[in-house]
Amino acid sequence: MTSTPAPAAPTGPQHPGLRVTVGTVTRELPTVRVGSVGRVPLVEFLGDSEFTNAVAEALLSRIPPSTEVLLTVVTNAVPLAHELSDRSGIPYVVARKKRRTYMQNPLIQDVPSMTMGVAETLWLDGPHAARLRGRGVLVVQDVIASGGTAQALARLVERAGGRLVGYLAAFKQGESTLPVTYLQELPKSL
Amino acid sequence: MRTHKVEVGDVTRELPVVEVSPGVSVALFNMLGDTEVTEAAGRALAARLPNDIDVLVTPEVKALSLAHVLSRETGKPYIVIRKTEKPYMVDPVAREVVSITTGKPQLLVLDGFDVPKVRGKRVAIVDDVVSSGGTLHSLRQIIEEVGGEVAAVVAVFTEGQERPDVIALGHLPLFS
Repeated sequence: MTSTPAPAAPTGPQHPGLRVTVGTVTRELPTVRVGSVGRVPLVEFLGDSEFTNAVAEALLSRIPPSTEVLLTVVTNAVPLAHELSDRSGIPYVVARKKRRTYMQNPLIQDVPSMTMGVAETLWLDGPHAARLRGRGVLVVQDVIASGGTAQALARLVERAGGRLVGYLAAFKQGESTLPVTYLQELPKSL
Repeated sequence: MRTHKVEVGDVTRELPVVEVSPGVSVALFNMLGDTEVTEAAGRALAARLPNDIDVLVTPEVKALSLAHVLSRETGKPYIVIRKTEKPYMVDPVAREVVSITTGKPQLLVLDGFDVPKVRGKRVAIVDDVVSSGGTLHSLRQIIEEVGGEVAAVVAVFTEGQERPDVIALGHLPLFS
């Protein structure tokens, strides 16, 4: 009996990621080690227009009919918000995580909970806040985990004089009690 | 409020003119949240992007959606240079730049994970506005350090001095 050489070990990430399929697009999500939690899968829209488009297409029908403006936050969800806006014809507004010099009378909102132990503050430029006034606003995020950022965005809607119509996220990851509409749930750790 | 009218494809916008330092005002162009302008600019720039470009590189945040549309329209991948180092980055490559809009030193960081997507490749830098060229200079340094070649710079507008080396849809003057 002849022995054939064993096939080369598969190359790839040392830690297998998590496979996610949206529409016709499948991605192996990279994972990052977070403290003692283990490896947390990361959703990356930056640099991946194909995945962004697939998620936007899948989320489109889940936008509540009373939505007049989408509100999101930098950075990862920006291309997703753009695609959702382009496909739905609904404009979007982006909250920042730092003050920009050009901001006029920004609304400043602390995020009630912590992400990876770092306190965050959201900044919404005054002219952008004005676009929410009297409008039905949908909070849009890539991932809603604890819901802290989502709540801060909801608070910005309220402070800007808008009307919150819901929370839309590509993925839910964690025990947020917010009424989030999402495509898929991701495990908090692998 | 003083404004400056610009055209991007078939879209027109009145940009607010704001003072950024004593005696110097700029027309403020912020594409974030402007889907129409982003689509118009992305499609127009896609038509002018040289065919031999392999990959697009953009600094976060304002030009992100533009790079996304350019990527979608041309089928070329895009990479985002971040402004902070992230805990999940592998061997990040960083450069500092002093921004004229903030006056503060700003870090630009390429995730080492993205380096193979740039090395040996013909790169187009994508930005919303190319002004003093400070950001551009640092981006170029990072790309060249990891073995990429900057073969084109594309932007919606150039600002201040004319820049024939930049593929742009228009020019913004400085106001005094």
